[in-house]
Formats: sequence, C-alpha cells, structure tokens
Amino acid sequence: MSPVYLWVLITLPGVLGAGLCLAGRVADRVAGPVGVTAAAAVTALAIGVALGRPAVAVPFVAGADFGLQVDALAAVVLPTVAVVALLVLIFAAAERGGDVPRAPSRFFGLMLLFLAAVLITVAAGTLPALVLGWEVMGATSYALIGFRWQDVDRVAGGATALLTTRAADLGLYLAAGAALAGGSALELTGLPGLPAPWRDVAAAGVLVAALGKAAQLPFSFWLSRAMLGPSPVSALLHSAAMVAMGGYLLLRVAPLLAATGWAATVAAWAGALTALVLGAVAVAQQDLKQLLAASTAAQLGFVVLAAGVSAPGGGTAQLVAHAATKALLFLVAGAWLTALGTKQLAGLRGAARRWPVVGVCATVGLLALAGAPPLSLWATKDEILAAVRDISPALAVVTLAAAAVSAAYAGKVLVLLWIRPSAEVVREVEDLFDTEEPGTRRVPRTAQTVLIPLAVGAATLGVLALPPLAAELAAAVGAAGEPESTPVELIGSGVLALLVLAAVARWGTPAPGWAVNWLYLDRMVTRLVVDPILWLAAALARFDDAVVDRGVTGAADGAVWVAGQAERIESTRIDATVRGVAAAVRRLARQARRPQTGQLYQYYLQVILLLLGAAVLLILVT
Amino acid sequence: MTLQLVLVVAAALFSVGVYGALSQQVVVMVMMGLELMLNGVILAAVACYWFLTPTPTAQVVLLVVIAAMTVEMAMGFAVATLLHRSRNSDMTDMATDLRG
Amino acid sequence: MSIGIAGTVVFWVLAVIAVLAGAAVFWVDSMARATYALAVSFVAVGIQVLLLGLSYIGVITVLMMIMEMAIMAVYMIMFMGMNPALMPMSMVHGKRTAVATATGLFLALTAGILLAPWPARSGDPVPDPTAALGEVLMGSKMLVMIVVSAVLLATVIAALVLALPRGRYDRFGDDLRRRPPTDPQPGGVGR
Repeated sequence: MSPVYLWVLITLPGVLGAGLCLAGRVADRVAGPVGVTAAAAVTALAIGVALGRPAVAVPFVAGADFGLQVDALAAVVLPTVAVVALLVLIFAAAERGGDVPRAPSRFFGLMLLFLAAVLITVAAGTLPALVLGWEVMGATSYALIGFRWQDVDRVAGGATALLTTRAADLGLYLAAGAALAGGSALELTGLPGLPAPWRDVAAAGVLVAALGKAAQLPFSFWLSRAMLGPSPVSALLHSAAMVAMGGYLLLRVAPLLAATGWAATVAAWAGALTALVLGAVAVAQQDLKQLLAASTAAQLGFVVLAAGVSAPGGGTAQLVAHAATKALLFLVAGAWLTALGTKQLAGLRGAARRWPVVGVCATVGLLALAGAPPLSLWATKDEILAAVRDISPALAVVTLAAAAVSAAYAGKVLVLLWIRPSAEVVREVEDLFDTEEPGTRRVPRTAQTVLIPLAVGAATLGVLALPPLAAELAAAVGAAGEPESTPVELIGSGVLALLVLAAVARWGTPAPGWAVNWLYLDRMVTRLVVDPILWLAAALARFDDAVVDRGVTGAADGAVWVAGQAERIESTRIDATVRGVAAAVRRLARQARRPQTGQLYQYYLQVILLLLGAAVLLILVT
Repeated sequence: MTLQLVLVVAAALFSVGVYGALSQQVVVMVMMGLELMLNGVILAAVACYWFLTPTPTAQVVLLVVIAAMTVEMAMGFAVATLLHRSRNSDMTDMATDLRG
Repeated sequence: MSIGIAGTVVFWVLAVIAVLAGAAVFWVDSMARATYALAVSFVAVGIQVLLLGLSYIGVITVLMMIMEMAIMAVYMIMFMGMNPALMPMSMVHGKRTAVATATGLFLALTAGILLAPWPARSGDPVPDPTAALGEVLMGSKMLVMIVVSAVLLATVIAALVLALPRGRYDRFGDDLRRRPPTDPQPGGVGR
C-alpha cells in the first residue's frame, strides 16, 4: 500500500488541529463539524492502513530515521483509537453545557493535535518517531487538562500530570542514548539485539517511561489530578489514548523485556500490584471520576502484566476492550456532570433511572468492568491469567485478587446508580445537584446515541480473547505459543465476579483512609521530590542575586570607580599641567611687556644693546 | 696720525653723544646728543676717506650723513613743537604714550 | 699726500677741542652754553675736515652748525619764555646707566678698531676733490641725490604736519564738510 496514506493519516488531524487552534474565536462555529469530519476521515484511513500495512521512513536526526510502520499490533490499535476519538468528538460537539462550548475551536484543535500525536506513537517504528509523538501527546494533554485556564487548580492539575509524565519520559531519552551507544540505528525492533549492558539500560529507560505514562505505581497520583479536565478529555486521553500508550509501548517492546529477564519480572509485578492496590483505592473513592481514574490505572496494570509475562495477544485484547469500556464510562460521567452538576457518588444515587439509554449503557460498561461473563473484560483478563499461572503462582494469586477487586468497585457504583431513593435520600441527592457546575437537566440525543456503539464494543470485544480469534491475534503480534484459557478458568473467574458483585450489593464496601487519599502518593512526592527541587531553585536564585548579580553590578561599579579615578588623574595632574603651562606662558607674556616703558631713553638703550649683540654675533660668525 | 687713532677719537665723540642721548630729559638736549653722535660719524667717515679710499664716493657718504643730520634736526624740532603745544612740556618723560 | 707736521699738530689739537667741547655740552648748566659748546665741537670737526682737503664738505658742516645754533636759540626762547642763559638746566635721568653704557660702548668700539684688520690705502686723493664730487654726484651717484631730495621733501611735509597748530581737520571736521570752519578768529575767504 502506498505510504501516502500513512502520511495523510498523521498530517490531516495535525494540520486541521493546528489550523483550528491558530484560528481562535473566528472558527468557533465550524470547529465542531471540522473536528468530527476529521475524526471520521482518520477512522476511514486507519481502517484502510490497518488492512494495507504500509511502512515509511525518512531521515530525521543524524544516524536515525523517522520511521512509521503498521504491523499487526498497530493494525489493531489504530482503528480502536480512531473510532473512540470519533465517538468522543461527536459527544463533545453535541454537548450544550460544560467546558467545550466555552472555546470550541481551541478544544477541537487540541484534540485533533493530540490525535495526530497518538497516531504517530502507535505507528512509530523508530525511537525518534516514538519520542516525537510521546512528547506532543504530553504537551497537548497539559493544554487539554487545563482547558479552563481561568481556574488555577485545573491548570495545576495539568502541570502535575505533565511534569510527572515528562520526568518519566527521560527514560526514553536514556534508552535512545543506550541504543546509540550500543551501535543501533534506533529501530524499536532492533532494541532486543543490543549488546548486554546497553540492552539493560534501554530496557530500564523504556520501562520507566511506560510506567509513568500508564500511571502505574509509583506514578499513579497524576491521574487523580488529571481528572480536573473536561470529561471528553478524560474519555479520550485517560481511557483509550494516552495512558493506554504506556501499556502499548510495553506490548511492543515485550521482546526486549523478555530478553533482559529482570525487566519482564519487574513489569509483571508492577502491573499486578498496581492492579490490586489501585483497585482497592478505587473501591474507597467517593467521586465517580476519581474512581474511574483509579480503575483505569488498575486495568492498565493488567496490560503491563501481560507485557511482562510475554502475552501480547491478551494484552492487546485487554487494551482494546478497556478502551471501549472506559471511554463509555467517562462519557456517561460527563453527561451526568453536565446534566446534574455533580460527580459525587452520593449525588448520583438513582441517576440511572432518569435517562434510560444512558443508564443502560452505564450498566453494560460497569458489568464489563467487573468482569462479568460474557462481557469483554472477563475474557481478556482470563487470557492474561492463563499466561500468568504458568509463570508464577504468587503472581496468579495477586492477579486473581485484582480481578475480584475490580468487580467490587464496579459493583459499588452499579448499586448506587439503580437504587430507588426514599424521599429523604432524594432530598439529600438534590442538595448535591449543581454543586460543581450549573446542571442543564438534559442530555442531548446525539450524546446518548454515541454511547450505544461504545456499549456494544464493551460487551462484544471479548471475542478477541476467545479461542478462534485469540490464537490468530497472538500469532499476528508475534507470540504464537501463548497459552489459552481453559473453559474451567473462564467459568471460574465469571462466577467469582458475580459473587463479588452480590457481596457488594449486600454488605457495601469499606473506605480506608489510605485508599481514599490514593496512598498519600501525592504528598510523598511533594515532600520527597518537589520541595527539595524548589528549595534548590530558591537557593540558586539567592546565589544568583547575591553573588552573580552582585558580581556584575560590582564589575559595573568597579568600572565606574576606575573611570572616576582616571578622571581625577586627568583633572588634577593633566589638567593642572596644562593650566601650569598656560600660566607660565601668561607670565612670560607679562614679562615681555615690561621693556615697553614708553621712555625714549630706555628704548635707545634697548636698541644699543641689541645692535651691540648683533655686531658681536656677526663678528663671531664671520 | 694713524687710522686707528682718528677712529678712536671718533668713537669718543660717539660715546659722549650716546651718554647725552640716554641721560637727558629735555628733548632739545637729547637732540644735541644725537648731533654729537653724527659728528663722530662724520669724523670717522673722513678718516676712512683719507686713510682707506680717497675717492669721491667717500664724499658722497659724507653728504648723506649731513642730509641725515638735517632730517634729524627738522623732525626733532617738529616733535618738540607738537609736544609743547599739546602737553605744554618739553621733557621726554611726559611723552610715554607708547607704554605697554 | 700728507698734511705735514703742523697739520698733524693742528689736527690733534682740534680733536681734543672737539671731544672736550662735546663733553662740555652736557656738563654746563645753561642751554645757551650747551649750544655754544656743541657749535665749537662741530666747528672743530669741520676744520679737521678742511685740513684733510675736503673743502666743500667742511664748509657745509660749519655753515650748517651755525644755522642750527641760531634755530635752537629761537626754539629756546619760544618754549622757555625767559632768558635761557640764566636758567640752571641739569635734568638727567638714569645717569649711571647712561655713563655705564657710554663707557662700555667706547671700550667696545676701541677694541673693535684696534683689533680689526684694516686694509691698506688704495690710492691717492685727487687734486680737486670738490670738482670730482660734483661730477660723481651728477654722474654715477645721481640716485643718491634723487633719494636724498625725496627724503628731504618728505621731511618738510612731515614737519609741517606735526607742527601745525590748527589744520584742515580741526577747522572743517573729520569729514572736511563743516561750513563755516571753526576758527578762533573768524575771517578769511569763507566768512
């Protein structure tokens, strides 16, 4: 297939996005249609490119190319990202309240730019292309999370997200350096082939960058802060696109992790522990978006785990299914926030009953999240479990516990949404309405319609992890011998999920302090990292003021002093000398007037003496 | 009677004339000093004629000296008249307008 | 040509008289006596000139000095307005400087005279110096006469200008336009 399609795929949203951003207020009316049309074109191109599998490379930096290629893994993920982006943008264009109508052109422009960056990241074949897409993703995510820039808290949340992921991104630069030192041409497929020490360094760098982007432990706190952004942003970035790219990167470099041995183990345990711990954090949350954020980190932990145990087929399936599910749930949260003005779980009690379509879609999504059969995430988690049980029993236990916990938090929300509130509860709920923004009390029909395909996807994408397609997918992404899940396991995990759902419905869930506060990670990082850096910055600033600035001013003062000394010398010595000479000449002139007395006889005398002198001179000379 | 002796006499006359020109206050007396100086010059010129070049050219020199004496007399008297008319004085000390 | 022993003696006597008379000019008290002394000195020099054969020059010198003494007497009466013979006149200034200068000058001149390499006599005097002088004056030295006459004319005019009590500019103003002229005694042509 001609590489032109690949270029158009990444430049179309980029150029349109940049154009909308630059046009500003002028393009407000056309921003929505332009954004949706661009996303539709991107979807069509993504499907075409996934079928055609082109590759392209141009020289970029010295010794390395900007290379894009669509292999099997990218062929699955590209359409996923494009479809989710299209649905989210339709939802955003249909919204009548909330953040988007305030500055549509800026929103759609940034979203299209973000989309272009994600497409580059997915299709990247070399490290320079990957880093380019990675960084632009981070930059646009900052702008999108801090979309309502008048609110300092939201911008601070965006800054936290950007700084944390950017700090983790240094790992990618480290990996690039190691690859250059190891003599590679910076191709992603060539990384496992690096000589021994550089391969480990590269693996460590890539691991840190991916864990940071995927909000795994210990980086999870930024995802909590990023929830301050608009809901469509969360639906795209923090479900299907940005955080998922961390997991996607690990899936792509799974051979590198396997080659280094220790990296795979670290990735697997990091993923499993994140899934368990952040699942517990999600259980304790009182805010719907915070709960969904913790759940995102936990579900992506499964993807990271899959990369660590070399089960890329299962990881890919989990990635796709989770994208559909989480996008759906975030859009639902956004719809209720716009309509009711609250995203606190206490205020959303019984909200599913108000708009049936939204409620049913939300239920489907939550059941899928819980892992209830026969929905998507049940099958994908099982495929991952199948790969884990062969590697390590301890890991398998942790994974199973994580799956149970995900059922717990999904069940918690499900129960709250469907209760029939008593009159007293109704009053409490209505007190919480409009606490976060004024609610419009309506969800546009277009918005409701968008939720349906996502719900269908959340329900059915499990086929990618079930026997016929699972083996094909695994073979395509390069892990032909991936273990499959046995029917016993499938049934067992399904029953476990349903049991947990019932238990939560009956007894409710605990809410320990450490879980509510996201393990106090935020506070720890502030105290351990941020405060020392700020102290260092202040100390350097003080040094600059006291020493460098004073040095420069001192030099200037010194120059002025030297000039003053020179002036003093000039005015006292040189000036005095000049004046002395002038005074001497004046004195001589005064003396020269003395012979002119006016007395005739004295003039005679002067003449005689002069003539005598002249005569003597004449005689002497001749 | 040699040239040098006659010239010494002429020098003596000249010196006396110099003394007079330098020391006298009255304009007419200064003039007399100047005349004595010219007198000495006449004697010296005649001695040169007699002892060195007895040609008519030397006599022409003498005539020129006499003419100089005439001019000096005329101007001196004219100046003395003018001085007397404007300042009512005849002393050179009163005519120091060239001072400074 | 020589002037003989008698001539030499007379010459030296006249020389002494000339110098002493010259000194006497500034020694005597009254101006009249000074005038007489100066006349004596000049006459002595004139006779010396006559002795050396220059009759014309000598006669002119003597004549000129007699005339000058007469004029000087007139001036003294005009300016002093009293009997000049009786006025004690001894007004000097800077006498010591003058004496020193004169003495120094005399010594310098004498030294020069005695030390200078005088050349030898270059010929004999002509028998008739006056005729020779006349011929030279009208011949090769005509320029001298012309210049001297011009100078004398200039002297006449200068003396008149200096000595004039009231001139045109006093009578007619600086631009010579004032009419009638300012005179102490009115009269004349433009009355």
